[in-house]
Amino acid sequence: MSGTETVIEARGLTRTFRLGSEEIRALDGVSLTIRQGEFVSFMGPSGSGKTTLINLLGCLDNPTAGEMSLSGTRIFGGGKSLSERHLTRIRRDVFGYIFQDFHLIPTLTVRENVALPLFFYRKPGTAGEVERLLGILGMEHRMHHLPRQISGGEMQRVAIARALVNRPAILLADEPTGNLDTKRTDEIGSVLQELNRTEGLTIVMVTHDAGFARLGERIIEMRDGRAYEG
Amino acid sequence: MIGRFRIAWKNLWRKKARTFLTVGGITLSSWVLVSLLGFNRGYENALDRDIDNMGYQLMVMAKGCPYEAATLMLQGGTGLRYIEQSTVDSVKAEPGVAMVTPILMQAYFDPNKGENGGIAGYFGVDAASYAAMKPFLRFKKGGWFIGENAEEVVMGFEAAELEQRDVGDMTFVPEKNVQLKVVGILERTGTQDDGTIFVPLKTLQRIAGTDRITTIGIKMEKDADAGGLEARLYELPNVQVVSFTQVKQTIMKLVSTARLMVFSIVIIALLIAMVGVVNTVLMSVLERLPEIGVLKAMGAMPGDIFLLIWTETLILCSCGGIAGIGLGFAFARFTGVLARRILPYAPKGGLVEIDLRLAAVTLAVIVAAGLVSGIVPAWKAGRVRPMESIRSAI
Amino acid sequence: MAKTRESAQVLLVAYLLFCLRPAPANAATGCDLSSPDRDVPRLFPGSTSYTTRYMSLLADELSSVVTRLDARFRGLYDPLNVPYTIYEIYTGKKKVGYIHGVNQKGQFGGIQVFVSLDLDGRITAFYIQKITGPSAGTFRTPAFGNQFLGLSLRDFDSYDPVSGKGSGKLPAIRNPAPDMETDFYSILRALKKNLILMDVFIYSTTRKNP
Repeated sequence: MSGTETVIEARGLTRTFRLGSEEIRALDGVSLTIRQGEFVSFMGPSGSGKTTLINLLGCLDNPTAGEMSLSGTRIFGGGKSLSERHLTRIRRDVFGYIFQDFHLIPTLTVRENVALPLFFYRKPGTAGEVERLLGILGMEHRMHHLPRQISGGEMQRVAIARALVNRPAILLADEPTGNLDTKRTDEIGSVLQELNRTEGLTIVMVTHDAGFARLGERIIEMRDGRAYEG
Repeated sequence: MIGRFRIAWKNLWRKKARTFLTVGGITLSSWVLVSLLGFNRGYENALDRDIDNMGYQLMVMAKGCPYEAATLMLQGGTGLRYIEQSTVDSVKAEPGVAMVTPILMQAYFDPNKGENGGIAGYFGVDAASYAAMKPFLRFKKGGWFIGENAEEVVMGFEAAELEQRDVGDMTFVPEKNVQLKVVGILERTGTQDDGTIFVPLKTLQRIAGTDRITTIGIKMEKDADAGGLEARLYELPNVQVVSFTQVKQTIMKLVSTARLMVFSIVIIALLIAMVGVVNTVLMSVLERLPEIGVLKAMGAMPGDIFLLIWTETLILCSCGGIAGIGLGFAFARFTGVLARRILPYAPKGGLVEIDLRLAAVTLAVIVAAGLVSGIVPAWKAGRVRPMESIRSAI
Repeated sequence: MAKTRESAQVLLVAYLLFCLRPAPANAATGCDLSSPDRDVPRLFPGSTSYTTRYMSLLADELSSVVTRLDARFRGLYDPLNVPYTIYEIYTGKKKVGYIHGVNQKGQFGGIQVFVSLDLDGRITAFYIQKITGPSAGTFRTPAFGNQFLGLSLRDFDSYDPVSGKGSGKLPAIRNPAPDMETDFYSILRALKKNLILMDVFIYSTTRKNP
C-alpha cells in the first residue's frame, strides 16, 4: 500500500566503470520516484544495470552523475561525492538490506545475527525488536541455531529480520530468492508481501524472475542501463 | 546483546588450526620473554644473596698477581701472599667500617684423595668477629671453638657430610700431620660456608707457621661512602681491595653477553610470532570480505570494523601471552637448571624469578606488539567498500 | 689499571666462590669413581667399555643386609640406605665383571673402598679412593691391596671384621699402619659391606631386575 510521501527521488542517475581502457556505462540517466509504502520490483537480465541502480539507491555507491534525494533531503548531486563514513550514516538510518547469498555470519546464532546491526547502531525504540521480528518471521524456535543448521529459506528469513531490526524506512532486496527453490521462493515472497501490507514497509527489490517481480505493485524493467516502466 | 569480544572470539574459532598455530607461536615467544626477564631478575637476586651471605661487603687481600695466587692455591697452598695482622687495626680505624674479621686461608695437598691427590682447604677465623659478620650461621650440632688456640674445627654442613664427621670426631690436616677435633657442625646455609672447614685463626697460624693473614673481611656502616672507603683502603701498603658490589657488576657484565644473545633471540621470536599474527588476521579479513561488506552495509563504521578485527588480535596475543607466561612459571626451575649448565658462573639458589609484576610486563609487551601488528589488517578491513566486497563473493 | 683491578677482583672472588666449595657430597649420595674413564681401565685391565647402574636397596633387602652385617653393629656400617653406583665392565660386547665402591666412616675422615669383581664375585682389584690419616698412604699401596686379590664374600663366612677374629685368608691380611688400626678394621668392614651389597644387587638369584 503506497502513501503519498516521496521517499526516493532520482534524476538522471548515471554510473560508469572503467575496465582497463574501456568505459562501461552500467547506468545511463535513470530517473524515478518511489513513494512511502510502495513495493517496487526492478526486473531485467544480467548486466542490465538493476544491481548498480539498487546500490546507488541504497547509498552503497556514489553515482558518476545525477541527483538523488531521500525524503526530500538531497544525498547525491551538485558534483559532490560522499565519503564512505557519510554513506554509512545514511545507510544505518534509512535502509535495510537483504542479498542473494544471505551473508549471515556463520559463527553467530540466528538471534545473534539478527541483533548484529544493533551492536553497531541502535535506533531508539528498537528494544525487543529481535524477538518480535523472529516471531513475525516464524523463526523464534530457531533462535539458538547456527546458520548451517537451518534451511535456505530460513536463512533468508533471518536475513530479512536482520535487515529490519533497526526499523529502516526502506528495505532493499537484491535477488532475495536467487539461491532458493520454488517452495522457499514462494515463502519469501509471502513474507515480503506481508511486511509491505501490514508494516507499510517500502520495499525495493531486484530480480531476474518475472513471476517474482509481479509481487511488486510497480515493475520497472531495466535494459542496457535504462529504466522502462510499463 | 552481542558484544565485540564474542564476535571476535567466534570468528577466531572458525579456523581452529590456524588460530592454535598462531597462538602457539605467540606462546613460545612469550615463554622465552618471561623466562629471560625472570632470569635477569633471578640471577641478580641470587648473586646479591650470595654476596650478602658472605657477610662482608669488602675484602682486603695481599697485593700480587691474582692469577698466580689462585693457581698456587689450587696446586698446593704455598707461595700465598700474606698481609700483616696489624693491617686489621688500620682497617678497623677507617671511617665507615662497622666491623672487620681477619681470615687466614690455607690449602694443603692430600695425596690420598683420589688417584692423583687433592686439596684440603681451611679457613682460620676469629670466631667472635666471623660469627658477628654472619649472624645467620646456625649450628646443627655443637658450637664454636672454646678458645682461640684450641685444636678444634667447625665444619660446614657439606664438608661434614663428605667426611662423615660428627661432633667429637677427629680430622687430620695433611702435609702438617695435625689432628683436630670436630666441635661444631653448621646447618646448611646454601653458601660456600657449607664446604668450609673452620679452624681457630691462631691455631691455623701456628700450623702454617705464620703470624700473618690472607684476608680481612669488612662490613661497612650503613650509608658509608663505599667508593671513598675503597680508595682509602687501597692506600694501605701491599694490599688490594675486593668490593663485592663491583664484583657483582663484573659478573653481571660477564653474563650480559649471554643475556644479550638470548634477548636477540627473544626479539626475533617475537617478530616471527607477530608476522604470524599479521598473516592470520589478514587472511581472516580477506576470507571474510563479503561479510565485512555486509556489516558495513548494515551500518558498521570503518572504526567499528577496525576495532572488531583489532579485538581478534588482542584475543590472540592475550591467550598466547598468558599461556606463555604460564609455561614460564611452570618451567622456571627447569630453565634455571638449564642456565646453570650453560653459564660460566651461577650463584646458588633459584636463577629464574617470575612474579605477577613481571608476568604483567611480559603480557603488556606481547599485547602491545600484537596490537601494533594488527593495525594494518584492521585498517584494511575498515576501508573495505561494501559493494565491491559483497560482489566479490559472487 | 681499572681493567686489571676488575680482572683481579673477578678472579679472586671466583676463586673464593669456587675453590673452597666441597666436592659432591658422596657420603649421602653414594660412592662414585672420581674419573671413571680413567679409573676403569686401570682397575679392570683389558676392559674396553663400561656402563653405569644406580641401585638402591628395597626395604626387605636393607633388612637382609643389616642382618648379614650383624644388626648389633649397624652403626659401624652406616651409611646403608643410600644410592649405590655399580660399574658393569665389558670387553667388547661381553660382560667381564663389576666395579663397586662404598663409603665408610674412618678415624679422620671418610674412606672410599672400591673393588673390581669378576663374574663369580672374586676380587680382581682393590682400591682405596680416599682415606685420611697420618699413615693413610700405606693403605693405597699395591702391597696392601694385593692381599685381597682372589677373595670373595665366602671368605667372610669364617671371619668377623668387628671383633677381628676368625679363620681363613682374611686374618692373614696385614695392617700396614699400626697407628691407624681403627681404620684398618673399618676397611675390612667396608669390604664386607661392599661384597654383601654386590651379592644382593647382582650375584643373588633372588634379586628382581629394577
